[in-house]
Amino acid sequence: MTAARTLDVSELPPFRISIQAPLWWGQVCLIAIEATMFSILIAAYFYTRLRVDVWPPPGDQFPNVLLPSLALIPLILSAFGSYWASEAAKKDDRRGMILGLGLNLVLAIIFFVMRIIEWHSLNFNWMADAFGSYVWAFLGLHSFDFIAGLVETIVFVVFVASGRYGERERLGIHVDSLVWYFVVAIWIPLYIVTYWGPRLVETAQ
Amino acid sequence: MSGKHQSLNIAALCFAALTLTSCAGRQQSVVNPAGPQSGQIATLWWFFLALLSAIFIIVMVLTALTLTRRHRGIEQEPLEATHLPPPQTEAGLTRVVTAATILSIVILFVLLVTSIITGKNLSELQDRKNPMVIEVTGQQWWWQIRYQNSDPQQVLVTANEIHIPVGRPVMIRGTSHDVIHSFWVPNLHGKRDLIPSRVTTEWIQADRPGVYRGQCAEFCGLQHAHMSLWVVAEPPDKFKTWFDGQLKPSAAPGTAVLQRGQQVFMNHACIFCHAIRGTSASGQNAPDLTHFASRRGIAANTLPNTMGNLGGWITNPQNIKPGNHMATIAMNPPDLQPLLQYLESLK
Amino acid sequence: MSPAESHVPTAEEQEQHLRTLENSWRHPGGITGWLSFTTHQAIGMRYIVTAFVFLVVGGILALMMRFQLAQPNNTFLGPDRYNQFFTTHGTTMMFLFAVPMMEGMGIYLVPLMVGTRNVAFPRLNAFGYWMYLAGAIFLYVGVFQNAAPDVGWFAYTPLSGPEFSPGKRPDFWAQMITFTEVSAMCVAAELIATIFKMRAPGMSLNRIPLFCWSMLVQSFMVIFAMPSVMIASSFVLSDRTVATNFVNPAEGGDPLLFQHVFWFFGHPEVYIIFIPALGMVSSIVVANSRRHIFGYTAMVLSLIATGFIGFGLWVHHMFATGLPQIAAGYFTAASMMIAITSGVQIFCWIATLWSGRLRLNTALHFVFGFIAIFVLGGLSGVLLGSVPLDLQVHDTFFVVAHFHYVLIGGALFPLFGGFYHWYPKMTGRLMNEAVGKLNFWVLFIGFNLTFFPMHILGLKGMPRRIYTYSPEMGWGPANLLATVGACIIALGGIIFIANVVWSRRAGKVAGNNPWDAPSLEWAAASPPKNYNFEYLPVVTSRYALWTPPDERVIVTGLRSNRREVLATTLMDAQPDHRYVLPPPSIWPLLTAIAVTIGFAGSVFNEWYITWGSILSGIALIGWFWPRRPLELKP
Repeated sequence: MTAARTLDVSELPPFRISIQAPLWWGQVCLIAIEATMFSILIAAYFYTRLRVDVWPPPGDQFPNVLLPSLALIPLILSAFGSYWASEAAKKDDRRGMILGLGLNLVLAIIFFVMRIIEWHSLNFNWMADAFGSYVWAFLGLHSFDFIAGLVETIVFVVFVASGRYGERERLGIHVDSLVWYFVVAIWIPLYIVTYWGPRLVETAQ
Repeated sequence: MSGKHQSLNIAALCFAALTLTSCAGRQQSVVNPAGPQSGQIATLWWFFLALLSAIFIIVMVLTALTLTRRHRGIEQEPLEATHLPPPQTEAGLTRVVTAATILSIVILFVLLVTSIITGKNLSELQDRKNPMVIEVTGQQWWWQIRYQNSDPQQVLVTANEIHIPVGRPVMIRGTSHDVIHSFWVPNLHGKRDLIPSRVTTEWIQADRPGVYRGQCAEFCGLQHAHMSLWVVAEPPDKFKTWFDGQLKPSAAPGTAVLQRGQQVFMNHACIFCHAIRGTSASGQNAPDLTHFASRRGIAANTLPNTMGNLGGWITNPQNIKPGNHMATIAMNPPDLQPLLQYLESLK
Repeated sequence: MSPAESHVPTAEEQEQHLRTLENSWRHPGGITGWLSFTTHQAIGMRYIVTAFVFLVVGGILALMMRFQLAQPNNTFLGPDRYNQFFTTHGTTMMFLFAVPMMEGMGIYLVPLMVGTRNVAFPRLNAFGYWMYLAGAIFLYVGVFQNAAPDVGWFAYTPLSGPEFSPGKRPDFWAQMITFTEVSAMCVAAELIATIFKMRAPGMSLNRIPLFCWSMLVQSFMVIFAMPSVMIASSFVLSDRTVATNFVNPAEGGDPLLFQHVFWFFGHPEVYIIFIPALGMVSSIVVANSRRHIFGYTAMVLSLIATGFIGFGLWVHHMFATGLPQIAAGYFTAASMMIAITSGVQIFCWIATLWSGRLRLNTALHFVFGFIAIFVLGGLSGVLLGSVPLDLQVHDTFFVVAHFHYVLIGGALFPLFGGFYHWYPKMTGRLMNEAVGKLNFWVLFIGFNLTFFPMHILGLKGMPRRIYTYSPEMGWGPANLLATVGACIIALGGIIFIANVVWSRRAGKVAGNNPWDAPSLEWAAASPPKNYNFEYLPVVTSRYALWTPPDERVIVTGLRSNRREVLATTLMDAQPDHRYVLPPPSIWPLLTAIAVTIGFAGSVFNEWYITWGSILSGIALIGWFWPRRPLELKP
């Protein structure tokens, strides 16, 4: 190549654990996709709900708010675990990563147990009517993303605990925290729509 | 080269104008309006066509001119050196592009306004005081028609052919019994979808007598292609005659052959789906046959209503309209002729 | 930013650098190796070739349809076959040809144009291709089992629901969409990350080629539109397989909900197809006018505006469903407004052509063809935006004419121009120009002969999606003309394939930059080496190769003994860090197989979702298993 001058980049590090990493941007794109999907589902829910007078339809109980509301606590706290691990990953603090991911894991499992208990109390399934279909779609799809995030966390805990990690895995932990923030954050509007939605919009009860 | 482009496209436009205004195929044509709604739309169509064609021609001329320019050898040196024409040229181009953009915005705005005005005019073509309401229910693959009336004695149920009085607004209340269909009679108005679990409405009106063809315009399955209907517009007195005739129960079979024919009808599966008022046949799943012989077509106008076609239809409906919901009924040959005669007597 | 004072590499250093680079970027051998390729040129070419195959398949289906419609009351195809054919034609063209083809061109060209060696996520790139291929195979397995979908490419409910379409046909349609949308989303994420973070130093955002802008806008549109069709198709699939009630009217579901959710995707979808083509047009126009594009800023803003406005039009597909007048008015205005953003681009291209020194090669012929056909299609679109007019011509052959004018004119003609333009880059040889011009004219004439009469057919009352019609309607002659035109288009296709095959071996050798074009892909070899550039370029202007040679700068200091590229900042492309890409890997294919088991199986039994998820989880763990060395040497 005919060039007169050069730009030497050898002093630059071979990785960066921050918003500068391409992986961070890729992950944000995938999160945007999931967020859009849930938004459209919520919009569809309201479109359906506003076409009928009685909601939930006759026979479906109002979902019980107590357990899901309590479950918010471990869920939101688990995000702190993820944040802790992410900061530790930037500093290559092995103990911090294990503790942060561990905290994330424990709280997430507590949340999920509470969710499974709550599922059993619903007296309708997805086949009952439109309301049932939406509620179970919200719960099912969110649980799917949740479990995926959980498995990622477990895998990272195993990698870090067994010493099988380097910069790329630390970048992974940092970027994975975005996934966890998303899983927590998207549950808030879904929770409001599922458990408070029927109460907030007037129904002929 | 682009001169050829240009003339090809202009030739196409002329061809279009010629064929559109040609005599053949004026039935079911958007540009052959027979009522105020379709008339407004047709006027809008010609206006849009004129304006949009003008834009097209101008853009094509400009495009063609880019080819002639290269022969005038202007300002080659600066272009070769810097791949940029001189600033005056760029400035001139900026002015032209800006003007073209502004002109486009203005033209589009004009089109938008005329479109909205037409829409508004259409929505005002109603009769709120004494509306004539016809319910059209789309079925796979026929049209159930019901003339509404507060007096139950004046409610008429028929199929596949609508009659309306000339000069009177008629409201079509549409829905569907199964999948989405679309009610479309282009000589009278645009289309309106027939959607299950919903009711859509459209006002139509014929300003001159005539027989107007309509066709389902939303893909509805296997025989979407064979789901058409007739709208017959008649002077009010003729319409009343028709309507009163349709309200009467079916003609009692006068001759022995006709009685035999009625018997054949009653003894076969026909009665599970079809209704003939005045007899015990009251099936609701298929076209009402009370005045079947007064209609122009059979099987939602798949074929003209003749004895021969009817015979072929009854013997093997799947042959004519494969996939349609009428069962093939086993019938002894001696039974067929009386049946056909009976059905063709139901005027 | 001024380059460091380090020296220009000596000849020996260059040779050493080249040898190690060749070694690190070498393709692995054998069949397993071939299945493990992760270079963007290989994956891009796979997309392009596979998509072209489906263009031909879709074209054959169309030809069959045209034979059936050539005569009234024809018996070439019965109603069931015809319904399967038109559905599969539309589905194939939209999901298996148009979007993957544009993505393939993007995957191939974007890393070259931004001056890097690969996309940001090479393994995700491979995975995306395998998912696309799997989805295509999945659909066609159904087609050959007499289970081709037959409810239209947009599969309205309740016709596509369990009650009116028993069996598996719409299930194949719905799940194929899931496959191809996953693929599209992977490509979107990686192209955004590549364009944002891996550009050559100095290539600030206002210096990237318009084709890269178009891929960027398109990728964002994919992110916000594709989830909608995933939901729409999942509504249908789950209503059919697990008896949910999203769009089933009997239990509170609403058929119009399906339409809204589908078209919220469906309208942006056509821009997803069309916007990359606009980028190609800019590349071809600039190269063959030999001048800077006129109005770069206006072009960029138009692309972005088209992307945004494209999301606000979808209800114009539903004007006949009985909407409130205000809604109809708004969507008319928006539909007309988008004509302005496209119009601005047309004006800028005309201005560029006007003031340039034109090289009238085949690629530029296709650009002229694009202008003529697309503008006509766009104007018929303005007409369709008017509610009263749309109520007459909606669901008739007028609409069929319109969308073929905008899709073939607006996307296919630029694409063919792009083939003629970039073929020398991809293969090292030029396509035959004389045959190319013949190719253009045959396609142009054939296209207009086929689709122009359809405007008239629509105005004469011929609805869409009918397998036959009676002679009294007077539609026979125009239909026959259209069929003749379709045969001519087919001839054009054959001429193109012949030219491609012949030129591979006998075309004129191209060299790096046969068109003297300014963008960076023309600095690489023809065809490019796996690593694209020996030394990554530094750019100082929008038209890198039109900069005098002694001003050119290169990047040194990247390791050549591993697949290393440069990550730069978002706005100004300042070097930020070096970024190590993974070596070739079989895990993307294994993961795709696992996901395919889940997706394909779930159409027959819902438990496959669970098995597929578990298998995919295992495959992903393999994919992300920590590689040695764990710590990267600086």
